Amino acid sequence: MGSHRVSMMKTRFLHVAACFLLLAIACLSTAADKIIRLSVWDGDKALETIRAVCKQFESENPGVKVKIENYEYQLYHQKMIITYAAGVAPDVAMMDTTHYQFLATRGALLPLNTFFAASPGFDIKEFYEPIVKSYTFRDNIYILPRDIAPIGLIYYNKKMFEEAGLPMPDGNWTWDFKERPELKEKDFLWVCKHFTKQDKDGKYIQWGYAPGWPAMQADMYALQLGAPVYDDYAEPTKVQANAPMRVTAFQFAADFANKLHLAPSNSEAAGALMMTTQQMFVQKKIAMYQNGIWEVPNMRKMLKPGSPEWFDWDICLAPAYAGKDGTPVRKFTTGGSGYAIMSTTKNPDIAWKLTKFLSGPPGMIAMAKAGIAQPAIRKLALQPGIWLPGPNTPLEEQFPKNRIATDEAVPYVVFDPSSQFGISVSDRVNKGLEILWNGQTTAEKLLGENQKQAQDRLDVLRKQENLPPFNWTLGGLFALGLVIGILFYVYKPEFGKKLTNLEKSESRSAYQFLFPWIIGLIVFALGPMLLALLMAFADWDIIAPAKWRGLDNFREAFTNDPTFYKSLTVTLIYTVFSVGMGIFGSMGLALLLNQKVKGVQLYRTLYYIPSITSAVAGALIWMRVFNPDKGLLNYVLYGPEGKWALGKALSVWIMGDVTKPVDWFGNESTALPALIIMSLWGIGGGTVIFLAGLQGIPTYYYEAATLDGAGIWKRFKSITFPMLTPTIFFSAITGLIGAFQAFTQAFVISNGTGAPNDATRFYVFHIFGTAFQSARMGYASALGWVLFVIIMIVTLVQMRMSKRWVYYEAEAK
Amino acid sequence: MSIQQKQQDWVKAAKNAERTAMALRALLWIVLLSGVLLSLAPFYLMFVMSLKTPGEVANTTVWELPRVMQWVNYEKVLTNPNAPFILFFRNSLIISGLGTLGVLLSSSMVAYGFARLKFPGRDRLFVLLLSTMMLPGIVTMVPQYVLWKYLGWVDTFYPLIVPAFFGGGAYNIFLLRQFLMGIPRDIDEAALLDGANHATIFWKFMMPNMGPALATVGIFSFIYNWKDFQGPLIILNSPEHQTLELGLQTYRAMNQNQWELLMAGSVIIMIPIIILFLVGQRYFVKGIVMTGIK
Repeated sequence: MGSHRVSMMKTRFLHVAACFLLLAIACLSTAADKIIRLSVWDGDKALETIRAVCKQFESENPGVKVKIENYEYQLYHQKMIITYAAGVAPDVAMMDTTHYQFLATRGALLPLNTFFAASPGFDIKEFYEPIVKSYTFRDNIYILPRDIAPIGLIYYNKKMFEEAGLPMPDGNWTWDFKERPELKEKDFLWVCKHFTKQDKDGKYIQWGYAPGWPAMQADMYALQLGAPVYDDYAEPTKVQANAPMRVTAFQFAADFANKLHLAPSNSEAAGALMMTTQQMFVQKKIAMYQNGIWEVPNMRKMLKPGSPEWFDWDICLAPAYAGKDGTPVRKFTTGGSGYAIMSTTKNPDIAWKLTKFLSGPPGMIAMAKAGIAQPAIRKLALQPGIWLPGPNTPLEEQFPKNRIATDEAVPYVVFDPSSQFGISVSDRVNKGLEILWNGQTTAEKLLGENQKQAQDRLDVLRKQENLPPFNWTLGGLFALGLVIGILFYVYKPEFGKKLTNLEKSESRSAYQFLFPWIIGLIVFALGPMLLALLMAFADWDIIAPAKWRGLDNFREAFTNDPTFYKSLTVTLIYTVFSVGMGIFGSMGLALLLNQKVKGVQLYRTLYYIPSITSAVAGALIWMRVFNPDKGLLNYVLYGPEGKWALGKALSVWIMGDVTKPVDWFGNESTALPALIIMSLWGIGGGTVIFLAGLQGIPTYYYEAATLDGAGIWKRFKSITFPMLTPTIFFSAITGLIGAFQAFTQAFVISNGTGAPNDATRFYVFHIFGTAFQSARMGYASALGWVLFVIIMIVTLVQMRMSKRWVYYEAEAK
Repeated sequence: MSIQQKQQDWVKAAKNAERTAMALRALLWIVLLSGVLLSLAPFYLMFVMSLKTPGEVANTTVWELPRVMQWVNYEKVLTNPNAPFILFFRNSLIISGLGTLGVLLSSSMVAYGFARLKFPGRDRLFVLLLSTMMLPGIVTMVPQYVLWKYLGWVDTFYPLIVPAFFGGGAYNIFLLRQFLMGIPRDIDEAALLDGANHATIFWKFMMPNMGPALATVGIFSFIYNWKDFQGPLIILNSPEHQTLELGLQTYRAMNQNQWELLMAGSVIIMIPIIILFLVGQRYFVKGIVMTGIK
């Protein structure tokens, strides 16, 4: 009877719950149209254009709706891999050379050439040939190019050139490590030098040049000096990250800013000014910058003719290397992209139609007119009025005039190496470059280390191709064994106990109340735990079938994964200091607030607010607090004029240069301390707990102690502190578990990169990257288990030790 | 020493003590106030910057007020088609709301089972429950992702809502169990004698009495869900499914260095949570006190 009522109650529960769920889902799903999902990485203007082109596509293809999803480039490819793995990949995906082979070898992309025959009027030969070639892998074309985008364009400020008395650049210039005054305006360094300016304190405030991102310049130099990263781009066996010419190129790119002061250094640009190169260009802090053609819409928007900011500007080719024997070497890396079709699409034909539409005349013309991209079909590219300005081109679309430069650059383009092994090798090749740009290491040292790590990784990957498959049956049996073990632990003592009817009915009701939790425990906690345990022995990207790796995951962590140790160290330091200082701070604050002060409630509220604020917003605010140039902290340290001795001493000590303000989050040695300080912002949360602890101490203890003549310190030592030990213990346990799992702030501040040089890559961040950026689910599970064991040991040790110092009143009585 | 002298000494000492006490009080007041200023300064900075022009962000000090309040920054953030904040807000509301509902329903049920009923295996099951508190989320996050994949739940709200209906978190169960154990047993005993069953006791007698505790758990879990970043980051891909917290990071990744807009977005995302906190503060503090001192 009773249980019947319970189950009725429960069904009502579930009904209510289900209704709410359905309601939520109803909000999400709409329409009977065929929906084609399109993923892109693009700026606002490009997106606007793509949207318009898709609208046009929709009107030409009734019943089809295109849904555009935009992602940030840095995370884009990982997103494609992981969404494909999860079966929620888009239908059509923008793609470049970087990762398509990885996806193609896993069957994630449809070979586009299969569609060609059935498409009358379509001719792949109309596209620039080198681009099509780079999108071809094992005889199949996987990407239909939409544009060409050599990263070999210099945007220059005509007015600044005029004021400096220099002739306008024509792209016919060279660089040769040193200034060549005899070549005059044909020497890039000579030109750059004309723009470098210092203020009266010796601080650099204006430069000649800046690359769109620091590695761009180094990569171009390496290409021009003839230092490829791999021995074979298609089937690499050797990494050559520290080939002598590559080291030379990277060191020169770093010195260009740090020693020659021809470009703003990383800390001056990204750190102090917190500006993009475009913003620096518009604010006339630099005379030239290098990037691809896609910057044009931004430039047009920021430099409207007639507006006060406006100045005349144009583009030209980036300089060539002068060459050892006097023949200039011109080579550029390239952006540029196209569209690929994911093999999970349910409508391959419509997907192909859209691909052809976007990477065909309609899409290309729209993008060209918006100034975003030169068409990948040469015929279109050279026809005036589309890409090249025509007679009817409106004024604001006339900039830049020299648009033919993109076509001129095509023969010099070298495509990025791509690899079916995915990003884990190239990630290691490019690791920690930011500290090279900051001048904190040398190219030789950094690239030497990277070479070792990348080669190791490549060897492992090549070996891994012939691992045996993972035996799920055996794994399942093992997991079953563990489950039986747990059941045995729970019910062993109950064996042979006879229950009365009343007890039986009570226990039945109880299990009905517990039912949701038991299901949840099995499905969402224990089950996944066991699965993680099994996966820890597998190599699995959850796309291809899992392979048995035995203990190699753990071996890799302990012997061949420098990030493992680094992230563990970072996490341990963070945990010790943030928890230690947090407890100390909360207790101190609680002691103050426990005095008879007016408005304690208000204080408590105000102190508490930071601990409930959004972690992402909090991280963004603190980036401004720690900003080297205009930040709150440096304002206090350096004074309003930036001249106080304390700040200068810090500059010398940390940055090694009296003119550079400390870049807290950009510096390897200060990023973690800054995060720890940031964590103290939340001590208000702990304070409330300590206040509760303090208020639980009976006042007559103090009265008695005062009568005995005990002073403030004595009272604290023998009453307050012992009575607070349970609170301290509680805070330590929960604080440690929390701090070990710190993630969000570091992720936001480094924008998902762990910069500088993994100084903010917490352990959980490392797991996240391994699982959801590199799609190495097996290895990530192994790392997760290591963390679990560490947390368990630390907690058990704390509990064991607590018997010695934690004072429980009840025991004493 | 005469009595008069002694009295004078006492008076002097008392006056001295009073003076020290006053000085101490003033010191305390100064320390507390500057602490408050320190912890609120970042908010001021955020708000002021959200109203500046890009030029002012680049060229003025952090606490300088903008010359003209740029409320248009908020409009820009709210109307950006690539980062639909209104949609983010709705998504956050759905996830946090339903998640909280699930937590309240299921954790109170489970807590009742543990607190008021006897059954074989109870104590060891409770140990199991407590030990799941120690379990780092990331360990289960990877295999759970595999689970979501096979259920077809990636990029949906389910993974962020459904688990709440199945247990609602060890922490919450623990908290409610503590509360339920404090309610005198004579009520249920009398009800049982009257022939009521446990479902009736739970709904009719326990739930109404659990108001404050439920409010605490509710506010806690709402804020927890609202602030959750890691979960949405892993599960939600498409922009129109993202929550505010994740959306702000997405927005930030797409608008590097447009600080006035990022700060406006930050203000937008924090307002609801601060309002909720101020309204439900009483329960919040109570909840912390309950968990903090066992």
